[in-house]
Amino acid sequence: MSFEVPIGPQHPIHVEPLMLRLKVDGELIVDVDVDVSYLHRGIEKGLEVRTYLQGLYLAERICGICNCAHSLCYCLNVEQLLGKEAPPRAKYLRVIVEELSRMHSHLLWLGHYFHTLGFETLFMYFWRDRERVMDMLELITGNRVTTAYNTIGGVRRDITPEAESKLRKALDYLEERMRYYDKVIDSEPTILARTQGVGLLKPEDAIKLGTVGPHLRASGVKHDVRLDDPYSGHDEIPFNVVTWDTCDCYGRVKVRMGEVRECISMIRYALDHLPSGDYRLKIPPFFKAPEGESLSRVEAPRGELVHYSISNGGTNPYRYKVRTPTLANILSVTYMLKSRGDYEVYIADVPPILGGIDPCICCTARVVITDEARKKRRILTLSDLERYSQEKGARRR
Amino acid sequence: MDEKEILQKIVERFGEKVLDAKVIGARRITVRVPPEAYKEVVSYVAHDLGLSFLSCLSGIDRGENLEVVAHIGYSICVLVRTSIPKDKPEIESITDVLPAASIYEREAHDLLGIVFKGHPNLKRIFLPEDWPKGVYPLRKDYAPSHPKPLRGGGGE
Repeated sequence: MSFEVPIGPQHPIHVEPLMLRLKVDGELIVDVDVDVSYLHRGIEKGLEVRTYLQGLYLAERICGICNCAHSLCYCLNVEQLLGKEAPPRAKYLRVIVEELSRMHSHLLWLGHYFHTLGFETLFMYFWRDRERVMDMLELITGNRVTTAYNTIGGVRRDITPEAESKLRKALDYLEERMRYYDKVIDSEPTILARTQGVGLLKPEDAIKLGTVGPHLRASGVKHDVRLDDPYSGHDEIPFNVVTWDTCDCYGRVKVRMGEVRECISMIRYALDHLPSGDYRLKIPPFFKAPEGESLSRVEAPRGELVHYSISNGGTNPYRYKVRTPTLANILSVTYMLKSRGDYEVYIADVPPILGGIDPCICCTARVVITDEARKKRRILTLSDLERYSQEKGARRR
Repeated sequence: MDEKEILQKIVERFGEKVLDAKVIGARRITVRVPPEAYKEVVSYVAHDLGLSFLSCLSGIDRGENLEVVAHIGYSICVLVRTSIPKDKPEIESITDVLPAASIYEREAHDLLGIVFKGHPNLKRIFLPEDWPKGVYPLRKDYAPSHPKPLRGGGGE
């Protein structure tokens, strides 16, 4: 007897809420269908009817958590169209804020991930430490979440010496904490049992399915936009591309842990080598971009973000295309959720696998179980789904 | 391989089929081909040249025609583009060459009305279920009606 289990569709903090329709045989998932339509806001059309500067504010609001990546990608795109480049100091400041927001995103994800596995203490710890990062973002940019830091031609504020010293202190604190978390993650049997061997994605499949970001690197593939297609000072600031070759959810945790540590060292390097000079170019609010096209790519916390624009010489873009990393990762989720041969996926494994690509849908997901044979519907709430996952964690303990 | 070598290889391999090819910036190449050669060129760039990764697939309304652009590559990005007439917007799907295209082709189908022949599951992806048939929001002839402001918009 097979059931259909819809998971979704809404999540208040994520750019793309998903609806997953799982076909299950008992607890085993045999087929998946994905619906990503719930938050289509027509932003691409909206960008066509706005001037370039107005578009910046809209582009920044595509996603709440990676707003910094979107505004950076938009600015790089328009600067490319104009044939201009941000001054060196602006590039380094952009990297500092970009990496801080990557840390904030990864820490949020790590906390949330352990929460879905039933490890509440780590959830509290990670989110407490993330608060330090949020404070730093507020100190530097003036805003906690939607930073509004990048602008066409540079950044909007310079960093003060006071903010710099506070930032260095926060980095020391976070580095110490990350060492502790590494120890916990490697020694805690619950985490190991719930992540190792769950959600396998082999490197060749990951490439074939167009996977991006930490999710791709956890399959042992060394691709990172900051390395492959460097932008905004990433060709000067050294960093290691963190990869892991276990191809499972454990690898995804380890890659993001490693990336937070890399962020810390990149920010330190950027602070040590911060060039002097202007932090922005003077660009008038209304301008016409020359005819042409430009493609900019940024490594957002969730992976490669693509902005592609076409200008016909007017004050607005003729066409503006955005490809977000989650859309690229969806195909791999449907692939990982299907049981094949020895590889078995259970309903309780949905939160770790889905969470592995960092869409954080499962946390507010509402599940309806439809028993087709008996024509009965049973609604599982978020807490039921989490209880499923946490009970499985407890059994493994 | 740098941009020029890749460009040269594509031009050598496809000769007259390449209508236009140039480097448009650091690590950016654009290649225009007729619709018949589109899939073949995509396959050559992705597999024979080893760029392997479909970064994005965009559709553009160019007035009389619709343009399909496949962005291929991790580092160097090759934009393979082709134009198809608006009254018969059909093109071969590249999902069997690059499986990642399936979701992007659904997107272009939904928002621009491009029909990808051979796509295994070409159904609606972003627009609501009750969206009228034959209305494609990213086409230039679609003018959205502006919603009335909630307050202060007159008449209250």
